[in-house]
Amino acid sequence: MTPRSGPGIEDRGLPQSSVPSPHSSILKFFASLKLTLLILAALGAAIMFAYLSETPTTWVLAGPLTAFALNLSAAVATNPVFRRQTALLVFHLALIAIILLIAAGRLTYLKGQLELAEGEVFDGQLMQEESGPWHQRQLETLRFSNDGFTIDYAKGIRRGNTRNQVSWVAPNGQIQWAVIGDQVPLVLDGYRFYTSHNKGFAPAFTWHPNSGGLPVLGTVHLPAYPLHEYKQAIEWTLPGSKTPLWVMLQFDEVILDPAKPSEFRLPAKHQIVVRAGEERRELKPGEAVRLAEGVLVYNGLRSWMGYTVFYDFTLPWLLAACVLAVLSLAWHFWNKFSAKPWNKAA
Amino acid sequence: MTLELELQTLWTALVLYVLAGVAAIFGVALQRKPERTVLALLVFGLVLHTASISLRWDRLGHGPYITMYEILLSNVWSLLAIYVLAYWRIPAIRATAAVVMPILFVMMGWLLMTSPYEGHLPATYHTVWLFIHIGFGKLFLGSVLVAVGISGIILLRGSRYGGERFVSLPDNSRLDELSFRFMAMGIIFETLMLIVGAIWAQDAWGRYWAWDPLETWSFLTWLCLAFALHARVAYKVTPQVGALMVLAVFALAFLTFFGVPFISTSPHKGAV
Repeated sequence: MTPRSGPGIEDRGLPQSSVPSPHSSILKFFASLKLTLLILAALGAAIMFAYLSETPTTWVLAGPLTAFALNLSAAVATNPVFRRQTALLVFHLALIAIILLIAAGRLTYLKGQLELAEGEVFDGQLMQEESGPWHQRQLETLRFSNDGFTIDYAKGIRRGNTRNQVSWVAPNGQIQWAVIGDQVPLVLDGYRFYTSHNKGFAPAFTWHPNSGGLPVLGTVHLPAYPLHEYKQAIEWTLPGSKTPLWVMLQFDEVILDPAKPSEFRLPAKHQIVVRAGEERRELKPGEAVRLAEGVLVYNGLRSWMGYTVFYDFTLPWLLAACVLAVLSLAWHFWNKFSAKPWNKAA
Repeated sequence: MTLELELQTLWTALVLYVLAGVAAIFGVALQRKPERTVLALLVFGLVLHTASISLRWDRLGHGPYITMYEILLSNVWSLLAIYVLAYWRIPAIRATAAVVMPILFVMMGWLLMTSPYEGHLPATYHTVWLFIHIGFGKLFLGSVLVAVGISGIILLRGSRYGGERFVSLPDNSRLDELSFRFMAMGIIFETLMLIVGAIWAQDAWGRYWAWDPLETWSFLTWLCLAFALHARVAYKVTPQVGALMVLAVFALAFLTFFGVPFISTSPHKGAV
């Protein structure tokens, strides 16, 4: 952070000639420490603009960060002080690496959400996602199963630890198990799967179509619980049908008691209300309802968990570059300050 | 262990701090040097303050980093601990207590007006990274506070009254150099705070950086600090301008630490 300036900044070891070449002039301009200040101010202004904008505008940071990378690179290339002060050189190279890695990360990242009912296997499909233009998608090849979860709740229905058991098949063909949750993701091929606060109940049905096709087993994810405690209903369409079906979960017991610690669990007794057009039926596990296009069997109640997935191959490299930057900066300051006590005149 | 005992211990500590601050201010005004008294009062205050925090930690089962009361409680402690260390090790700048203690009085007053209610420890707080993140944050703010004390002396010397009262301290260029060193320590600690915070955020919320209000303002503080350190080199600024930049960094850091919890609705907002 220091001696890129001073008397040396103007001649900074460039070839001596009476008429500076256009290349050296451009390099000199980009290496200027005063330009660094301007870029830092521009970066701050861009951050404020993005922060105050109501729509995502982080792209405004690209300009100042590119200028910063050019400024740092030009300074490292031209300023002889970096040949004398290794710590300072390492710090600036680490800063350049951080900017390049952030750019690479933004071009190749993926972020998304998915939901899996208990016993369901992830099939590579996401409900929502965003990714960088160069992301090479490998999600379709990944599989893991949600084997059920528990969540502690403190008094006042305040969510505590989530423990979600998951299983998957390792490359050697062995089945692997793990408990993921808060702070502990499942990492498969660089994709990091996290549990989220979104979870709820999922009635499981088997649909036997009149057309004679194979029965279809599926779950309906009701709105998140306890966030939508009083809206445990949803409208959906049966597979291969155009008939809308309305499903509601009914139970009387208190699952999460605000007066004492509790745990997320399925209700001991419940029923499902199914409504198709004018017809309304209440179903218990094992019961069926005959509809115009087939028979719907209610198998029972399960839970579903919402997951977020994140991919950014730069994460370990970015961490290494950041640690290198801060250690080299500390090393530089240590060298600088230990060379002369603060209360001795220059 | 009751809340009553915890608060009585804390109030006693605060009284000792106030006495130390008043002694320091009168020492400057009357051109006396009650340094040993100030140091003794601050150390006794810190001991009681530590006891109060320990009682609360033991009673609630988690550290003081959940509610605004706890954040003020622990920050007053950490700022004083770092300042007392500087006060003890660098006798030449002990007069800065007259500048630093009034700042801490404001935080103590705020602490007394804040309800000592118990907060709920979110699931995302069960990680060692949180301790490290908070620790570096406190070291950062403490380093900048010492620089603020030194900068205050430089600025007060601009007046005739201040010039007379602080005549025995090292000259402004030396104080500026010392202030720069504390700011340099500050940027190291703040950078570490941001790195560790990103490690925590990655596994707590599935992203290492999301420009939430606290992250945004923390990074703006880092930029402001980097700007101040760079400007000092690029333009060879005067000690007075350097001192003003130190105050600007502290003001921004203070707003980030204690103001953002009031405007943020993100799960990461400093105080729950």
